[in-house]
Amino acid sequence: MFWGNRKTLKMNYFPDEVLEHVFDFISSHKDRNSVSLVCKSWYKIERYSRQRVFIGNCYSISPERLIARFPGLKSLTLKGMPHFADFNLVPHDWGGFVYPWIKALAKSRIGLEELRLKRMVVSDESLELLSKSFLNFKSLVLVSCEGFTTDGLAAIAANCRFLRELDLQENEVDDHRGHWLSSFPESCTSLVSLNFACLKGEINLGAIERLVARSPNLKSLRLNRAVPFDTLQKLLMQAPQLVDLGTGNFVHDPSSEAYNKLKSAIQRCKSIRSLSGFLEVAPHCMSAIYPICANLTFLNLSYAPGLHGNDLTKLIQHCRKLQRLWILDCIGDKGLGVVASTCKELQELRVFPSDLIGAGNAAVTEEGLVHISAGCPKLNSLLYFCQQMTNAALITVAKNCPNFIRFRLCILDPQKPDPVTNQALDEGFGAIVQSCKGLKRLSLSGLLTDQVFLYIGMYAEQLEMLSIAFAGDSDKGMLYVLNGCKKLRKLEIRDCPFGNEALLEDVGKYETMRSLWMSSCEVTLGGCKTLAEKMPSLSVEIINEIEQMEFSLDDMQKVEKMYLYRTLVGHRKDAPEFVWIL
Amino acid sequence: MGRATSSSSSSIESSNHFAFSSTGASASSQRDLSTDLQLGLSISTSPPYGREQPSDWPPIKPPLRQALAEEENECDSATFFVKVYMDGIPIGRKLDLLAHESYYDLIRTLQHMFNTNIIWAEAEVDGDHYEKYHVLTYEDKEGDWMMVGDVPWEMFLSAVRRLKITKC
Repeated sequence: MFWGNRKTLKMNYFPDEVLEHVFDFISSHKDRNSVSLVCKSWYKIERYSRQRVFIGNCYSISPERLIARFPGLKSLTLKGMPHFADFNLVPHDWGGFVYPWIKALAKSRIGLEELRLKRMVVSDESLELLSKSFLNFKSLVLVSCEGFTTDGLAAIAANCRFLRELDLQENEVDDHRGHWLSSFPESCTSLVSLNFACLKGEINLGAIERLVARSPNLKSLRLNRAVPFDTLQKLLMQAPQLVDLGTGNFVHDPSSEAYNKLKSAIQRCKSIRSLSGFLEVAPHCMSAIYPICANLTFLNLSYAPGLHGNDLTKLIQHCRKLQRLWILDCIGDKGLGVVASTCKELQELRVFPSDLIGAGNAAVTEEGLVHISAGCPKLNSLLYFCQQMTNAALITVAKNCPNFIRFRLCILDPQKPDPVTNQALDEGFGAIVQSCKGLKRLSLSGLLTDQVFLYIGMYAEQLEMLSIAFAGDSDKGMLYVLNGCKKLRKLEIRDCPFGNEALLEDVGKYETMRSLWMSSCEVTLGGCKTLAEKMPSLSVEIINEIEQMEFSLDDMQKVEKMYLYRTLVGHRKDAPEFVWIL
Repeated sequence: MGRATSSSSSSIESSNHFAFSSTGASASSQRDLSTDLQLGLSISTSPPYGREQPSDWPPIKPPLRQALAEEENECDSATFFVKVYMDGIPIGRKLDLLAHESYYDLIRTLQHMFNTNIIWAEAEVDGDHYEKYHVLTYEDKEGDWMMVGDVPWEMFLSAVRRLKITKC
């Protein structure tokens, strides 16, 4: 009687405004996406109230559809090139152009305030259009992008009157050494975050000093190499409220006046929690920062190859509160032992290689990692480039640290077995995936057979991203992963013996994923064509090396590079000559 | 950002792309992965290939790769030791020429090592006190003994086999 007919039972007995208010508390993209799927009414309310949108593959959707669905959009995150582009595996001009997005947004009524781009091609033209089209634009974050010059930055500086954040991370910028910093008008006092560490050219020192002086809200400042030591001291005097500092050139004479001035300036910066840079540094220089080490939670010394093991360990002994440490392998296994006994709060560790010619001097081994795992119980994120690894060590690490969310291991000599037992590292990685039930991201290396993939398929239930290089024996390996990892979103494979059988066994799987990359594997043109035919909702791209311009139409030919992704808008129209979309 | 270094407009990678992933690209026969790896791997593990590195392994981003390459250039780990004898002293010394940047640097080290004043091509000599000086000579690839300092430093490095400090 009271219940009546199920069909007439309405779920929203609250007015829309109330639901909207409730949705305000839901910020995660995944959750908001789920909310929108509940019913038509919730979809409608959600889309009007959505302010932040994340698009992991810019070719999966069009700007027009984005604008149509989310008229209230304020913050957009876009990613372009596939991850392996970071390692020179994707040719120049493959795609990922941001201009069409900015153009479409500019034409619409969207009041864009924040734009975050990763691995995209950003032209000066797009930066200029961006700077002129959105009155309230506040934040621009560019990560691993290319295609722009300091002229584009000048436009942003000049035209975005309420700019709070300009964050350039590891971009390839054509530095015209113009006075882009001077383009910030005198009236601009709103900066909170400024990061230009990746710029190679000279900058106007007077301009940066004046800019910092008139930015009372500045919390994050990362300088480039061209900023000398004594300018740093002047900047710190103006900005003792800094929370995040990236130094430029840090070379100085410890007996000099400049050194003393910097020491006293730094001591006033009681809020610094994050330190990076040291793009030019000599060992004796680091004592200047000892006063602020005690409160540091993030330390990035990965661009300071001039610092050696002893200097690094001396420094780290002062950093008891570190949560994230990015460092070069010159620290050595012993140095990692010091980290393990000092940094009990450590959550994230990245150890980068310092010696690319393999002279074998500086490197870390499984020893260092075991020390860390024993000493840092909160460790959940690892990127570790090392000389060698053993199964025993990985098993120990898995036992000590069951909380890994990201585990990326790179043995510098790929396909290297366990040096003690000469076996593959299957058991070691197997232990990791079995123990770390929350593992979302995994990168493998060393000698690996199909067995490791069996373990991954069986145990890595939360795995979302997997990177494989020089591993496996047969198609079975790839199949174990595709069949087992239900939450897999991104799979990238290079130089593995996986072929058509693995690729084609479950074509529907790729619709549940964002993308698949396979290069130097065994898949053939025929296999890719079959896949493309069966799955019109996927875009299957064949990327040719420039030497192979005469692309043979032989279906038996092995494909050098294949990148496929799901898309709602069909094949992209901006693909260059060397990309063939099947 | 990634770019294939085969692009001539690439301003980023100075090292050659050592075809790590594109070996056997057009081969229709079964690719022997281990051979590919041997070809590629020997780059990173043995010096014979010198400074050439595949630009896609290890998987690090271009800015870091560049920073490391620059550092590598700055502090060379290569050495070139040559024997040095001084007239009257039967026991010779050995000297790393690559640890020096110029003739001036080398002369300074030798003067310190042998505790004497050394004349070379660009030295200023006090005509009256010849006896106090020694002359620095070197044996070149053809076996001839030449005074040090006439040719550019790099050329000298490629020609020198050993050094001798002789009385004037």
